Parts: sequence; C-alpha cells; structure tokens
Amino acid sequence: MPLILKTTRFIEAQLDTFLDIVSDSAMTFQLAMDDYLQGRLEQFEERLTQMRDNEHRADDLRVSIERFLYERTLIPENRGDVLAILENTDEVIDNMKDSLTQFSIEMPEIPSELNDLWMQTTKASVAAVEQLVYAVRSFFRDLAAVNNYIHKVYFFEHEADNIGEKLRRLIFSMDIELSHKSQLRFFAIHIEKISDYAQAVCDRLSIYTIKRQL
Amino acid sequence: MIFVYLLSGLFLGWSLGANDTGNIFGAAVETRMLKFKSAALIAAIFIALGAILEGSGPSGTLGKLGSVDALGGAFTVALAAAATITVIVRTGIPVSTSQTIVGAIIGWNYFSHRLTDFRSLLTIASSWVSAFLLAGLIAAGLYYIFRDRVNRSKVHLLEQDFYTRLGLIVIGAFGAYSLGANNIANVVGVFVPVTPFKDLNIGGLFVLSGVMQLYILGTLSIIIGIYTYSHKVMRTVGKDLFQLSPLTALIALLSEAIVLFMFSSRGLYNLLHSLHLPTIPLVPVSSSQVIVGAIVGIGLAKGGKNIRYNILGKISIAWVAAPVIAFFFSFVALFIIQNVFEQTVNMEMSYVFDRVTITEIERQGYDTKHFSMVNGRSFENEITLFNELKEQSSFNHEELLDIIRVTEVHTMIVDTEILQKKGMTGRFSAEQWKALDELDGRKYRHKWQLAEDLANFPCWQISVDKTNPIEKNRNHDINANLDTLYRSFYLPKKPK
Repeated sequence: MPLILKTTRFIEAQLDTFLDIVSDSAMTFQLAMDDYLQGRLEQFEERLTQMRDNEHRADDLRVSIERFLYERTLIPENRGDVLAILENTDEVIDNMKDSLTQFSIEMPEIPSELNDLWMQTTKASVAAVEQLVYAVRSFFRDLAAVNNYIHKVYFFEHEADNIGEKLRRLIFSMDIELSHKSQLRFFAIHIEKISDYAQAVCDRLSIYTIKRQL
Repeated sequence: MIFVYLLSGLFLGWSLGANDTGNIFGAAVETRMLKFKSAALIAAIFIALGAILEGSGPSGTLGKLGSVDALGGAFTVALAAAATITVIVRTGIPVSTSQTIVGAIIGWNYFSHRLTDFRSLLTIASSWVSAFLLAGLIAAGLYYIFRDRVNRSKVHLLEQDFYTRLGLIVIGAFGAYSLGANNIANVVGVFVPVTPFKDLNIGGLFVLSGVMQLYILGTLSIIIGIYTYSHKVMRTVGKDLFQLSPLTALIALLSEAIVLFMFSSRGLYNLLHSLHLPTIPLVPVSSSQVIVGAIVGIGLAKGGKNIRYNILGKISIAWVAAPVIAFFFSFVALFIIQNVFEQTVNMEMSYVFDRVTITEIERQGYDTKHFSMVNGRSFENEITLFNELKEQSSFNHEELLDIIRVTEVHTMIVDTEILQKKGMTGRFSAEQWKALDELDGRKYRHKWQLAEDLANFPCWQISVDKTNPIEKNRNHDINANLDTLYRSFYLPKKPK
C-alpha cells in the first residue's frame, strides 16, 4: 500500500511544505518588522531576501501541486477549491513580501512612540496568518477543526483592524508633516491588509468545508 | 443460418454492455473519479474474465430462456429483448435486462400457446418495489455511517480520494466480473449446443474449444456495447438523477453490491440459518433498480431537495414498460419470423393421458376419477389441456400444473458425452456423474421417468423435508441439474 500511495504522499508532503512556507513567511515578516523598528536595517534586508526566496518557493510548489492534481485527475470534486485556497494563500505571502519591499524602498521614518502599536498590529496580522495555516491544514486532515481556526482568524483580523485604527489615529494626532503622516498611514494599512487577505481565504475555506462535508 | 441466429445473441450482448456497465461504472465516471476509457477497460477485462472463467454456469434467466425450445424462437426472443433494451437505453434510462428478457419469453409463451408461470411475473413486479426500497434503505444507512466517520476521521483529503477511487475500482471490477459470469449465458447460452465454431489449436500450446470461441464472441459483443453506447446510462446514473460526489458514488456502488449479494448468496442464507438468525429470501433483483434505489436513498438522506423527480418518474415508467414492450416485440417478431421467413420458432409439444402417466398421477396422490374425459387422449396445446382439466376437476392451479408436467412428452436419451461437449463437467458431483454413467444410453419419454431413475442414487434424491432451508437449497440444486439434463438429452420430435 505505501508504494501505491507514493504519489499521494508526495503531494501531501508538497502541500505541507507549502503551508510551512506560509507560516515561516508570517514569522519572518514579524521579525523583519521588529528589526526595522529597532533600526537593524542590515538584518531587515536579510529577512526581505529570505521572504523573496519563500515567495519563489511557494509559487513553484503551488504550480507543481496544481500540475499533479490535474495531470493525475486527483480529488476531482475538490480540485478547484484546493487550487483556489493555494492561490489565495499564496497571495498572503505576496502581500507580506510587497509590504517589506515597500519598506526597503521608501525607508519610512517611524517615530518611536508608534513602535508598540505598530508591533501589536503586526502581531495580530501575523497571528491571523498562522491561524489560517492551521485552518488550511485542518481542511485537508481534520474537517471538524476547520471552523475553530477560522473563528480565530476572524478574531485576529478584527484585532488587527482595531489596533490599526488606533495606530492611524495616533499617527494623525502627532506633530509631524502631513506627507509623513500620509506615508505612515499607507504602511499601517498595508500591515492591516495582511489579516484581511487571511480573512478572505477563510471566507472561501468555510464554504469549501461545507462542500467537503458528506 | 446459425450465424444469422447468433447475431441476435450478439445484439443482446451489445445492449447488455451498454445498459449494465452504466449501472456499475456510471457513478465513478460521472464524478470524474475514473475516466470513461479506464472504466470501459476495467469493465471489459473483468466481464471477459467472469464470462470465460465462470460463464459456463447457468443463470436463472438462461433457465427461463432455455424453455424456448427452438433456435428460431430463441433468436427472436433475444432479438426482441435486445431491441427493447436498445430503445430504452437510447433515452439514457437504465433498464432491467433480465426482466426484459422475461417479458420477451412470455411473448413467446403466448405465441406458442404455453402456460406462463405467473409467479415469475409476481417476482418481477415485487422486485420493482422491494429491490428499490431495500437499496435505498441500505444506501441511506451507509450514508449516515460514512458521514459520521468521514467528518470525524483525520485521513488526508488526498488519501481519502485514493481510497474512494480504489473502492470504486474494486467494487466496479467485482460487479463487472459478476456481470460477465451471469450474463454471458444470456447472450450465447442458447447457441452452445449448436456452436458453428471448430476447435482451434493455438500454436500447439492449447486448444480453444468451439464453445469457448462462442463465449469470447459474446464477451466481445458486450465490450463493444460498453465502448459505443454505455455513456448515456452512465450520465443518468451518475449525474442526471442526483449529483453524486465521489464518496456518495462509492456508497451507492457499495449498497448495490450488498443488495445483490444479499439476494443471491446461498452461502449467506445457509450461514444465517445455521446461526438461527432470520434468513433473506433468494429473489432475483435487477442491478438497475438497485443502483437507482441506492442513489435515491442517498438523495433522501441528504434532504431530498436535489433529486430530479421527473427523471425518477421516467425511470419508473420505463421499468414497467420494458417487459411489456419486450412482450409485444417478441410476439410480433415471432409471427413475422414464423410466417414470413418460415423459421421454426417452437417445437410441437404433446401431453398424453395413458396408463403410464395416469398411474404416476395416482402415485403422486391425485384422484384420477375426474380424468375419464381425457383418459387415453393426447393434447398438442398446453393451454387447451389446462382449461379442459380445470373445467372437469376441482384441482387448483398448482395441482393442475403438476399433473400437466407428468403428462408432458419429452423424449430423451441419456448421453454423458453431450454434457462434456457443452463444458458442463463441473456442474455435477462425482457421484452424480457415476449415476449418469450407469444410465448412459437409456431412453425416456417423460421427464419424471429420468428423475425417478436417478432418484435411486442418493446424490439425486430430492428431500421430502421442505421446511429445512439447507435441504431446500440442496433440492434447488438438484432440480437445476435435472433441468439441465432435460434440455441436454432432449430429442426433438418434429418441428412445427
């Protein structure tokens, strides 16, 4: 039986690796943000390189999984759903990478009073992505647990929105140039968006879960 | 001429391939778990294996078809059944092939003025309901069990997909094997005694007998049916009636296998009886009705909203219509074949009331005082005899049939070589063969005379204890073997 299941197990391993990369990317994003706020710019750039590498690997894996599923006509009923999940989750990595790239290009000056709220928003968005990874893993292995994780994603997305709003209010209450305020708002919203993407994947995932239930 | 006759058998094979394979693989193909080409290939391989390895055994339907005593009649009956199946399959509706054949045979009975066993009609009608309901119940039960298990199991989606696919292939292959084993006899069974093919020596390695060549030809006709025409039935079963998912397709197929097994396994019957558990009656059921019942059962268990009741209605009408259409096709075709093409469609039968038969009727415990009007007379028509006896006596339907069976003239000569040539060696036990060898060369005028002589050997004795299911089973086997002997040793008197 293990021999016959070889292809199946191989794709399972690829899916797990893909989700590992998403999880790694989320943590890398948080560490990169911390590096940036603490002024460790060289380390920040290393994290960005790592993030780019993750994005490439995730893209390659996604394409490879897609090809396998179609060529071997595996999971015909759920194939489209699985591919949509992978593509949307991949967008979450893209979004995190874009955010870091934008930091690297613009090098916005973040006043130290914002550090705490900035990191809180980052952590809430990263937590949403981590819960999303759990939810997707459960979709494949433990259907009953999916909703539990989806609920947590919604919770952290809401949290990211709340803290993000506080952050933007604080930015606009500060005595700095309007152009600076506008630039910081752009970055704050970018971080909040990461949890929005995670939520969008979960919206689809909850429907796919209903479809998968017998 | 035999080749022309054979064509109708092959036509029947073709229609069987188109209809019955759709029942087995429709759900798997329409849920895209199996490509049509793969399903057709698996079906072709396993139908061929079933037909060639186990196909020499008779099917219940062949027994009935065997009662059609002239090759021209068998040709026409098969043609009528095949035409009916084709007409219905064209609309994509799965139909019971056995019931259609029975409908065509009843057409022959009416045309040939033979009595029809109304019990088989009752069986057909009751199986329309019972097989359908039972399959639905089992499928719904399995659905709840699977739902509970699958929703709680921690098997990866891809592995679940793998096991579902494997299940669909294994159960489908098993279904195809049974289809081949049970139905090849319907397709070419009647041509076995007159096979036009000579034994073929393949490179000095083995000899391909004429009968085997006939079976291979029949199998090919079924396979062509699969490749050319089974797609429509597959679509109805797997998609049109109710949109199945791969797992529900597996449940439907599993329910079909369970119901067909429950109603046909004598082993299960004996096991239940030996454990003092209630037994399941051995009734022939149709795979078409079972698979449709299973799908409807799953649909209802899922809330019943997505079942297309208009398609279900069409299927139900087609089930009732199929035997009726086959009856009319058969009757009209027999008339044309006999009167336009001047072919023999039935043998002339005769029933005599002489000293020998009257003594036997008395021995069986019937009062012969009412037979003064028929005594010494001979009848050519079973229905006329039945009506005359009914008027003159107070015997019931069953008793009258018993009496008619005693008076039927059925000349036979015991010839074990015929059985060997027909490849029936495996059907009889060593003791039964020994008994037949001892009677080799003897002539008989009535079926019961041969049965009486054979009953001197314990292995051919019918048990009087009809309440014991094990004995009932044994009696059933002996009667089936006796029927084979009556057909094989028959010396036709004169064609009509």
